[in-house]
Amino acid sequence: MKPVLLTGTLALALAFAAPASASPLLDQYAQEAKSASPEFKGFAADRGQALFSSRHTTGKPETPSCTSCHSDSPSKAGLTRAGKVIEPMAASASPQRYTDPSKVEKWFRRNCNSVLGRDCTAREKGDFITFMLTQ
Amino acid sequence: MPTTDQNNNATPPIIWDLPLRLFHWTMVASVLVAAITGYFLPDWWLNVHAYAGYVLGALLIFRVIWGVVGSKYSRFKIFPLKTEQAKSHLANLLRGRSDPYTGHNPVGAWMIVLLLASLAALVVTGLVVWGGQENNGPLSAVVGYRLGSFTEEIHEFFAGFVMTLIGIHLVGVLVETAIFKHRVVPAMINGRKPAIQAESPVTVWHNLFGGLVFASVIAGLVYLAATVGVSQAKTTQLPEVYRQECGDCHSVYHPSLRTAQSWQAVMSRLSDHYGEDASLAEQKVAQITVFLKDNDADHFDTEVAHKIGRVDTPDQRMTGTRFWRKKHDDFKPEAFKHKAVGSKVNCNACHKDAETGRFDDARIEIPKGVKS
Repeated sequence: MKPVLLTGTLALALAFAAPASASPLLDQYAQEAKSASPEFKGFAADRGQALFSSRHTTGKPETPSCTSCHSDSPSKAGLTRAGKVIEPMAASASPQRYTDPSKVEKWFRRNCNSVLGRDCTAREKGDFITFMLTQ
Repeated sequence: MPTTDQNNNATPPIIWDLPLRLFHWTMVASVLVAAITGYFLPDWWLNVHAYAGYVLGALLIFRVIWGVVGSKYSRFKIFPLKTEQAKSHLANLLRGRSDPYTGHNPVGAWMIVLLLASLAALVVTGLVVWGGQENNGPLSAVVGYRLGSFTEEIHEFFAGFVMTLIGIHLVGVLVETAIFKHRVVPAMINGRKPAIQAESPVTVWHNLFGGLVFASVIAGLVYLAATVGVSQAKTTQLPEVYRQECGDCHSVYHPSLRTAQSWQAVMSRLSDHYGEDASLAEQKVAQITVFLKDNDADHFDTEVAHKIGRVDTPDQRMTGTRFWRKKHDDFKPEAFKHKAVGSKVNCNACHKDAETGRFDDARIEIPKGVKS
């Protein structure tokens, strides 16, 4: 009974640790999301995709969607309104993305405000990164 | 001193030595290049215009030396420049007569003096503009923007004057050829005037000596260029924090493009930065603001610093200045939407040296398909 319990705990721990190791940022967002809502059950790539591609009406009129600047596809480069090329959002295309917490936070702060007119929640941030890690 | 040429009636003696003739035609070529690039071609041909000016300068120095040490008819002291000579020649012309001269006729001689003097003035004023307004060439370190900009007016005046002189010169050549049957054009090609007696015709030694003089002029100028050294306009290293924080979204603007007040206004409302949230950590805002103010338009003597940087606009936009609009007025709005450009504020899409704040005309490269 005891070894079974131990193996089970270990397996559970491994299962939990595996996706988290993909980006240390996700751990932190998961913690924040959990403390914000006890029902939080983990991030979902499809919710991240919806956030990325839908048009919003609450932000600045110049930037109704992430895709306004980042192009329709995460694997393609985007263009800022000032004409500067933005590296693709997909982690596979831009491996250095989602590794520097202060940079990630800076852009969520700015761009959520520009597109949504508010800060993004920890769950939204986690969903977004989870989606981009699968791309 | 009889020569074989004189013994043979078919070939008259050489009046115009080879160095003089080469001088004449290379000068024609360089004036042509300078005139076409200066009058008709877009700004980014300015370096070709300047090179033509350098060539012209070297040629003029050679011509002045050759006017003292060259073969007989190349020397200034044989030019019939006395007022009475010019008067009687002009009077003759009006009566339909033009006496043949072995060298230049009095009116032609005056034309040459005027042309050489005003071409020299063109080269000198050109160097002042090139140095002051464009921060290029040997005078860039000593001539300021305002002097350069003012001198451009004088340069343009002399350009018009030279064009007028060239027009009169060509009319003179036409009259001599068509009315008086003086074969002046072939003479400037093969150096010979038919039925003319020359006192001391040109020998091959003149040609060799002329080559040597011209080579010395070139060597002297190259030596000067190498030793004097061309000091460029003051440039500033753009700090990494500025390059990164601002350059992530738009091309990194040189601080000389705005005044300290304008930069202050921009930096104090980054959360609404032309329709976007560009907010930054307070410490970075302070760091960048100090850099921008310490290197603003008042700290630079370039054309853009004067014409765009020092001109404040209500929303701080550079594209709102008169100079910017004038310089870009031949681009349709679609040109700025082209994918190689992206927007009006993506300066380095075309200005390859935008980050240095120099904006040399010669560094403009319009991407293919932008200008249709």
